[in-house]
Amino acid sequence: MPQKRLLALVGALAIVASACGGTTASAPPSSGAPGESVAPSTEPSTGLAADQVVRIALPGEPPTLDPSPAQDANSLAVLRALHRPLVYINEKLEVVPALAESWDISSDATEFTFHLRDAKYSNGDPIVAEDLVYSWKRLADPRTAAPYSYVIAEVEGAEELLGMAGADPAPSDADVEAALDKLGVSATDEKTFVVKLATPATYFLSAMTLWVFVPLQEKWVTSADAFEAANYVSSGPFMLDTWDHNSQIVLKPNPNWYGDIKPTLTEITMPIYAEPAAAQAAYEADEVDIIMPVDSPDVPRVQADPVMGAEFVSDPQLSITYYNFNNGNDPTGKKKLARCEDAKACPTANKNFRIALTQAVDKQAFIDATLAGLGQPANEFIMPGLPGYDETVNPYPYDLEAAKAAMDKAVAELGFASAADIPPLKFGFNTGGGHEPRVAFLAEAWRQAFGLQTDQIGSEFGVFLTQRTAGEYDIARNGWGADYPHANNQTSGLFTCGGGNNDQQWCNEEFDSLIKQAAVEQDQAKQAELYKQSQKILADDAASLFLAFPERPALVKPYVQGLTKTPMDSTSPGEHFYETMQIAEH
Amino acid sequence: MLSYLSRRILWIIPVLFTVSIITFALMHAVPGGPWDSEKRLPASVQARLNAEYGLDKPVHEQYISWLGGFVQGDLGPSYRFRDRRVNDIVADGLPTTIQLGVMAFILAVLVGIPLGIFAALGHNRWPDYVSTSLSIVGIATPSFVLAILLIVIFSVQLGWFPTGGWKTPDAWVLPTVALAGFPIAVIARYTRASMLEVTRKDYIRTAHSKGLRNQSVVSRHMIRNALIPVVTILGPTLAFLVTGSFIIERIFSIPGVGRFYLDSITTRDYSLLMAMTMLYAFSVAFLNVVVDVLYAYIDPRIRYS
Repeated sequence: MPQKRLLALVGALAIVASACGGTTASAPPSSGAPGESVAPSTEPSTGLAADQVVRIALPGEPPTLDPSPAQDANSLAVLRALHRPLVYINEKLEVVPALAESWDISSDATEFTFHLRDAKYSNGDPIVAEDLVYSWKRLADPRTAAPYSYVIAEVEGAEELLGMAGADPAPSDADVEAALDKLGVSATDEKTFVVKLATPATYFLSAMTLWVFVPLQEKWVTSADAFEAANYVSSGPFMLDTWDHNSQIVLKPNPNWYGDIKPTLTEITMPIYAEPAAAQAAYEADEVDIIMPVDSPDVPRVQADPVMGAEFVSDPQLSITYYNFNNGNDPTGKKKLARCEDAKACPTANKNFRIALTQAVDKQAFIDATLAGLGQPANEFIMPGLPGYDETVNPYPYDLEAAKAAMDKAVAELGFASAADIPPLKFGFNTGGGHEPRVAFLAEAWRQAFGLQTDQIGSEFGVFLTQRTAGEYDIARNGWGADYPHANNQTSGLFTCGGGNNDQQWCNEEFDSLIKQAAVEQDQAKQAELYKQSQKILADDAASLFLAFPERPALVKPYVQGLTKTPMDSTSPGEHFYETMQIAEH
Repeated sequence: MLSYLSRRILWIIPVLFTVSIITFALMHAVPGGPWDSEKRLPASVQARLNAEYGLDKPVHEQYISWLGGFVQGDLGPSYRFRDRRVNDIVADGLPTTIQLGVMAFILAVLVGIPLGIFAALGHNRWPDYVSTSLSIVGIATPSFVLAILLIVIFSVQLGWFPTGGWKTPDAWVLPTVALAGFPIAVIARYTRASMLEVTRKDYIRTAHSKGLRNQSVVSRHMIRNALIPVVTILGPTLAFLVTGSFIIERIFSIPGVGRFYLDSITTRDYSLLMAMTMLYAFSVAFLNVVVDVLYAYIDPRIRYS
């Protein structure tokens, strides 16, 4: 794990952590030992406030609170309080029991048998294995059109269902029902849920920690206005009390919550601030207790502020900031992009050219100048903290001399007279995301190093994405956050030939075969080794310009204690475990 | 009068029709679609969603099906908020937006007109300079700058008003002021110019020469006549205010519909975008009719037949 940045807030962290010791006498497996990762503290927790209400800024209206089709961070921030799947992550990102108290895995690793705890929904009904069968089938059902349906692909019979989604003509309901019957999920009794996989997929348990795998009651989901506050049925530590659309969401503790840590909070209020500056102002006016992220331009001011400086929290995240090169393959990965048939028109398809661009960038300076110094340089895609990350990978460190030598080779191979002779590179980014300083930093680095010209094309998000997917840019802004903490989520589809998110139009068969092997490798050490090899290939080929593993800065009032943070929190530190939060006297 | 009115109102229909065709064509011509996100949806899921929302059909068929719904008052399902209908989203937010707009309109009229009169009466003396400077600042300051200034001073520093929200009346103050800033300046400038114009008219000289007191010349002759051109801009101003402000609603986190003007474009929420455009077009067209009718009352020379 990367070094935690030592800010003037070690003291504040200690305060934040101090309540954790007193949270529970025995740390249950479902959430590990909360706060352990924050900072050791010997201070006894101060008294709790009478008013146990935390106010967390939500950066936008959740598009839906239906777990199956949810995909947006704002939806997830709420869903994580409302539901729990069979297995969940702990703050160390290990897979731990949640609704399932235990499970058995068959010797060939294709059959998982989960044993459920005695648990009830917020409406008092028992949570039974049949509800999981319903929810998993609903996820795979093409009629649900769930963006995250692909995570169920490894389950027996799921491929057929997923394929039906885009089929033309659309399959009949009877065909879909028949295919659903063949999906490898079943309930042998009320407390036993069995999953059969088509192929052994060792990352599947990790994927199962996602919100799409939570139990759902059919009679609830199919009722009218099911996802409005009045009708909502939750299985997590909190339940939906109010949803004033575009205004705020209020959560109250679920009295039937089965977990060992019962919420101390009596309410979570989530006012919706679509504008980051509005959330910042609300925090400074003491109207909210937690905001995340803090806008980069605000960070230096916040850090220098005597009060907010101590409330500032910034931790590593499972995410990456990168700029993809166009490697010149078409979306199928099988042939050249039409616009890259002429090598001169597509210089980033040349390996030496990519190496030159990579070596001309001082990543630490990039982070300091454009990310408020919050992050660490990235030389590969898998994030630190995940098995498969290899800190030794750095084939092309910042070195202007080497960069120029590589550029000379590239220029000769491409048939130009000099780098300045190359037509301006198409450098795409989306406006409105604060990316301009980063784009300018890179363009300027290349101009200074090689006299290389870039055409910096800022477009509206949808236009940008369409162009990026189509390979219209030579270089394009990109970013990725882990869905689940496993290297499979950071490789498959992202760099595999023709992968859905392969925005660098890169294709390498050796890489693909390593990813396939790793997916079925049972031995965790061997698996990590395979992923490490894959990252080496990726980095050696300079497939993309990996720049930073950024942190996600937040502001937390000092009286909010018991945060159980994970590197996957996105709208508030501790969003995976609201039940451990407490409000100290203040 | 009645036939004039009904003719004018009927004219709104072709206006809306034209606006809808242009908007519909433009929004489908823009690259990108409602299912775009940084993490791309699997192609099969996109295809399924396209089929579900009818996006796989030719654009003209989509338009006809949208028009069919619109005529019956059905604005369709939201693309972004999957469990909600656009009718509900608009019904949820519109009252708030109208309330904010009307309050800002009243403030703009109550401050802008006196400010303009004040400037004109003190023409080329300090009242004029003060008022004109204020108007120039008001016109030159974008509403988001004014909004943030107000928040920083009155919420963060002084703590007098909340930074945002709409639940309590004290939350209404800052957004109303921020939204009224620009129209105050515009109305003040129009009023001033119009007052100065009127001052030079023969009937004002006549009024003075027949011995009327200055005060009654101003109130009975000048202001009444000077307001005619001002009323012209009040219609569009009201339309602009009641249909909401993207920026003000966003900065003050107000749950209105104004924010959807831009949001619906960014998220390619086609049905919501159409609803917002039609709402705006209708407001502008309708309030223009209202303004024309008001002329007849203010200016006896204008008669409709």
